[in-house]
Amino acid sequence: MELEHTIRQTLDQVAIIANCQLIDNINDDTVLLQSGLDSLGFAMLVAQLEEDLGIDPFSQMQIAVYPRTFAEFVGVYRQTLANGN
Amino acid sequence: MSKLVIVTGASRGLGLAICRQLLQAGYSVLGLARTPSDELTQLQQQGLLFRAADLSKLDNIPALCSELTKQYGRPYALINNAAVGYDGVLATMHNSEINSLLNLNIQAPILLSKYLLRPMLLNQSGRIVNISSIIARTGFNGLSVYAASKAALEGFSKSLAREVGKAGITVNCVAPGYMQTEMTHSLQGDKLESIKRRSPLGRLATPDDTAGAVVYLLSEQAAAITGTTITVDAGSTA
Repeated sequence: MELEHTIRQTLDQVAIIANCQLIDNINDDTVLLQSGLDSLGFAMLVAQLEEDLGIDPFSQMQIAVYPRTFAEFVGVYRQTLANGN
Repeated sequence: MSKLVIVTGASRGLGLAICRQLLQAGYSVLGLARTPSDELTQLQQQGLLFRAADLSKLDNIPALCSELTKQYGRPYALINNAAVGYDGVLATMHNSEINSLLNLNIQAPILLSKYLLRPMLLNQSGRIVNISSIIARTGFNGLSVYAASKAALEGFSKSLAREVGKAGITVNCVAPGYMQTEMTHSLQGDKLESIKRRSPLGRLATPDDTAGAVVYLLSEQAAAITGTTITVDAGSTA
């Protein structure tokens, strides 16, 4: 839950910087592309999480992965942390 | 605190001239090269930061960028200058040379841009300058693969400029003409004289002429310039 909290906080933070209006009540099933954050905003989210968590799961994975929902996005980070980066 | 600029291929020629002028302009400059030259070591005494890096090892680039940002902070600008220019007709150029040229001249700057762009996005400000060449748009016998790499870099820059403009980041190219550097040392005699003769200014552009354009693109005065190429060739392509 702590990881999800961090990601939610970061999401709010980058949405402000990226001048994006997030939808209310983002939940596990929220489709990322419908969350209100644009593609550049997601790049900023990944960048900020890399600074805060020290990992970039999308670069560390051997194959390209594009999470569709918020739960899948959190899952990618959880799995990378569980694998010890 | 002065703005951090990362310059690749910093040990010689144009890269060295860029580092020197950026230091004079008050930037904090981090030079990357496989090994430091004597000239680069002298610049270190004037405050140049140096990091040994072999950019042809593409798999190491993400970790390198992450380490640089952690150690030196978020960069203001990236100057993709490192490149190789093998001279030879395509029909006999070894495939390994084609591969290594494309890796260093195209893939490395794309990956460096990808990873160093991220901290710029968070800052909502930044500059990327890719060093192209007039060969991207004019032909030259024996430089077809090099030309392909530089044309690719210009195409990359235009689209990336559109992608990141909203975040206050500019992406441009500087395209020098022939300069007398170690990279072009094979260009001598009649060929060199012919290039000089055809130039409206009757001379070649120097690394310092080209470095001046890079420093300009990093300035506040160039904040509205993005997605373009500044040619510095003493008029050779006019």
